[in-house]
Amino acid sequence: MSAREAPPAGSAPEAGRGRWWLHPWLGLRAPIALGAVFVAAALPKLLDPPGFAKDLWNYQLAPAWLVHPAALTLPWLELLCGLALCLGLWVRAAATWIGTLLLVFLLALSINLARRHPVDCGCFGTQAPVRPAEERMADLRWAILRDLGLLVLVAQVLAAGVTRGKSGLEG
Amino acid sequence: MPKPVPQLVRILSLAAGAVLCATVANRLAPPARRLDWLGRVPLAAALPATADGPAPTPGPGPAPAPIPEPTPGPAPTPGPAPNPSPNPSPNPAPGPHPVPARAGQAPARPANAPAPALDAAIRFPPAPDAVVQEIATLDAWDAFRLKLPFLDARRSEDYLAGHVPGSWSVPVWEADLADRITEFEARVRPAPRDPIVIYCSGGDCEDSRLLARKLVELGYRHLLIYRDGFPDWAAQHRPVSRGNAL
Repeated sequence: MSAREAPPAGSAPEAGRGRWWLHPWLGLRAPIALGAVFVAAALPKLLDPPGFAKDLWNYQLAPAWLVHPAALTLPWLELLCGLALCLGLWVRAAATWIGTLLLVFLLALSINLARRHPVDCGCFGTQAPVRPAEERMADLRWAILRDLGLLVLVAQVLAAGVTRGKSGLEG
Repeated sequence: MPKPVPQLVRILSLAAGAVLCATVANRLAPPARRLDWLGRVPLAAALPATADGPAPTPGPGPAPAPIPEPTPGPAPTPGPAPNPSPNPSPNPAPGPHPVPARAGQAPARPANAPAPALDAAIRFPPAPDAVVQEIATLDAWDAFRLKLPFLDARRSEDYLAGHVPGSWSVPVWEADLADRITEFEARVRPAPRDPIVIYCSGGDCEDSRLLARKLVELGYRHLLIYRDGFPDWAAQHRPVSRGNAL
């Protein structure tokens, strides 16, 4: 494990030459923001695994045997990865998991949006039981945009990690 | 100097940690918050054979017409379903509400006509080719007055917040589903062809269908899904119990 490290010397001038997304200011805050989002997303699901299982099932994508294990495991994975990012521990490994999860979520949301199947996202816990289909479709679009934004943050964290790795500071 | 941990090991360690935490937390959780690791939920809540109910209300559109209230009506307090009223008072609401009857189904009565003496076998005849039927609000009310068993497929917390009086909480998503079905069977002792009403939250809620599928697997052959579910029941100002009445 490696605690959050200071940016490598000389990285700021490098960032100033166009690699602004690797700026130390952003490199320090992006993992924390990303981790905080995933900790916040995990907590309601941890408190109610059956509700999350129902949300997953509503997507009508996961095979029958996968719904319960996924509902039990995913929130803990989100929590552990979120905490790792916030604490600056195993940042690249955590960001890799979160990027993978985001890609899966994006795929699931996009498929249901494409087939106009209004599902509750379930991203931050179970929603109100009965909501109009139009409202849920609108939420799907917003969830896709939000996940795309979070993917950008993941890319920043991974890119910054690679840079630090080259500098011998973070693996 | 210690050798750095490879990324792959870290990635796998995070996954292993998640599985470990999930196992411990699931073991410590109360039944309402627990999941069976090996539980299998069918992708689509398809049912072996379904049909619309014995006396459907007119098709899609505004809220179902008010239903004649028997006198005296059931008290809106927790407790068992009231006795069926053989001669309820006529509907005070003006105007008939003709309900089209379908082939092989009991004829619907106008909303302002006195309800006949109810008999479960006549009112809800079993259909050999449809072990699961959907029923509408009028049928659910008649089933309630006939004291047919009601199963509430919603989450237990929703049941505690409000449910059909005398209904059984059988939350299809919670880990003690099998125990609750066993308890229901032990206390009610329904025959395989006795009608059982199942409801959830209406709309696109699929919990009723999932529970019906489970009951069909257990051998039940006369299941009535209350299509519009508890929100409709409450909207019709039917009696509602709160807390754990059973």
